[in-house]
Amino acid sequence: MFIKENFKMALDSIFANKMRSFLTMLGIIIGIASVIAILAVGNGATEEITATFSELGATTISLDATDPEQSGDLITNEDLTILRQSIDEINYISPNETTSGTVSNDGEARVAVVSYGTPDLQYLTQTMSSSLIEGRYFNEADYADAQDVVVIDSDGAEALFGRVDVVGETIRITVQQQQMNLRVVGVVEGSFGNLQGAFEESELPLFMAMPYTTVSNTLPQVDGIDSVIIEVQSTDQIEPVSQQVVRILELRHDAVGENIYNAQNFLQALDQVDNVLNLFINFIAAVAGIALLVGGIGVMNIMLVSVTERTREIGTRKALGATTSVILVQFLMESIILSLIGGMIGLTLGILLSTLVAGALNITPVITLGSVLLVLLFSSGVGVFFGIYPARKAANLNPIDALRYE
Amino acid sequence: MIEITDIEKIYRMGGEPLKALDKVSLSIKEGEFTSIMGPSGSGKSTLMNILGLLDRFDSGTYKLNGTDVTGLSDSELAGIRNKEIGFVFQSFNLMARMNVLENVMLPLVYAKVPAKERKKRATEALEKVGLGNRLYHLTNEISGGQKQRVAIARAIVNKPSVLMADEPTGNLDSKTTEDIMRIFQDLNKEGTTIVMVTHEPEMAAYTKRIVYFRDGVLQKDENQEPKTLMSKEAN
Ligand SMILES: Nc1ncnc2c1ncn2[C@@H]1O[C@H](COP(=O)(O)OP(=O)(O)OP(=O)(O)O)[C@@H](O)[C@H]1O
Ligand SMILES: [Mg+2]
Repeated sequence: MFIKENFKMALDSIFANKMRSFLTMLGIIIGIASVIAILAVGNGATEEITATFSELGATTISLDATDPEQSGDLITNEDLTILRQSIDEINYISPNETTSGTVSNDGEARVAVVSYGTPDLQYLTQTMSSSLIEGRYFNEADYADAQDVVVIDSDGAEALFGRVDVVGETIRITVQQQQMNLRVVGVVEGSFGNLQGAFEESELPLFMAMPYTTVSNTLPQVDGIDSVIIEVQSTDQIEPVSQQVVRILELRHDAVGENIYNAQNFLQALDQVDNVLNLFINFIAAVAGIALLVGGIGVMNIMLVSVTERTREIGTRKALGATTSVILVQFLMESIILSLIGGMIGLTLGILLSTLVAGALNITPVITLGSVLLVLLFSSGVGVFFGIYPARKAANLNPIDALRYE
Repeated sequence: MIEITDIEKIYRMGGEPLKALDKVSLSIKEGEFTSIMGPSGSGKSTLMNILGLLDRFDSGTYKLNGTDVTGLSDSELAGIRNKEIGFVFQSFNLMARMNVLENVMLPLVYAKVPAKERKKRATEALEKVGLGNRLYHLTNEISGGQKQRVAIARAIVNKPSVLMADEPTGNLDSKTTEDIMRIFQDLNKEGTTIVMVTHEPEMAAYTKRIVYFRDGVLQKDENQEPKTLMSKEAN
């Protein structure tokens, strides 16, 4: 009833005391601005992180085996063959192991980081999967026969031989007191190109990759595999394949339900990031909530002042025929509009703020229609909740007492 | 039209209860122009507020246009005030942030009259009090006498059956007082029933009937030949 008239009256009285109204809205403005900014930046960050994770490892599963009671062959080479054969969705599968050793070709000892796995390793690791410059990667035949072959990165080749075309050369490497003579079959692009000059060249490790079978034949202390990397064809296969892999391994090692095998993927990592992000969002949301509460109390306070100031006006309106509910609606509208204007200023400020913050963090803020509606609904809610008491006080005034009020 | 019998109003404030109205009976017929007179504190305003349904009374009966108002709810009383009673206050009580026209339209808003009709009727009422050319002035841009004329326009805009004025010229000079009384007489001539509280005999002289109060008791009730002011149009 009287929506239009009440709206105009409310605006009139809010604008009649511009400064006072603005100060009253401040709490709501701050509260709403922070809510909007948090939502926008938080959503933006989540989207950004999700995108980054999917790019990095949307189809990768990393499998770990840990048994506190027993060490030994938790995952065997045979397991990998079985897994590859029984699960069609697996594109690539390889042990995901590294060890370090010393290379002493030119008398001077250099540290080498050695990754070892199946030939699939060339598609799976970060360091040793860049493009081949010379020769070839080690292949299935090398793997089956545990050949003494190695793939080296071009930085390493430069360091050891002073050139890149080193296919056919032999590298002497000592790993865990065992000496191996490895024949270079391929050279991949070095990953340290962009670090040139940042380190003494001799401090940089050499990167190499070789068949798991060769390592396990040569080094008796390497028993079994405890880390495996798997790539599936698409993201939605990650969960089912993870479960299948774990089930097969548990069955083969008689370890059902013992929690030895753990399949990790980016979705879980994302969950963890999300949890941290949510904690942060909740914390700031609580602060914003307090600001809104304070803002609401401010609205109630100013409405009580307004009711007192306008007691005679209320009396006159009642004399002219305004009923209790008409006065109630009038004052309630005023507190709602006051809060809503605050909410809208807050919304504008929040959008500005989120653009600034997101700009600084290099992400795109995400402002959804949902969060805008939420804010508008919430600020009118504050108006109703904190306006109802003053409005009732106004509405229940006795006309003659109100008219006599000095 | 107005029919009160044995009305009592008692104020209980701390000490002795104070009888502001003591068994007052009075009847006012349609078309009358009545003054209520008496010294300060004699209960004039108290009676006026009861007649205007702004205040409740302790005992007695009040029939307005044949209906007993005792036991009516607050919103029923608000409805009757809106339709049947027009108020003119000593201190004008206009809405400061509204212009003249909006002030006069306010009772029609509460009567749920459509906006277009509101404007038409408010303009007519303002023309009747000679303010047809001040529609869009704010109320702090006009003189005291003009303010009271706006208040009168507001009181008559919903065509009430009775106009109640408590010392309507108390804040005005004698020239402006005459203007207001002339408007009242014109309205009365057109059939509006008017009840007016005053303690000035010069004012009461313009009315047909004078009721005297003392200490909450109705003392005297006289009819007289009213002094007439020439209506503006006749000038
Ligand atoms: N709200 C109230 N509480 C207590 N006593 C009141 C109240 N209103 C009026 N009175 C008392 O009731 C009596 C009548 O007051 P009322 O206002 O009707 O007088 P009045 O005739 O209008 O006087 P005046 O000419 O000064 O306006 C006075 O004694 C007054 O003190
Ligand atoms: Mg009085």
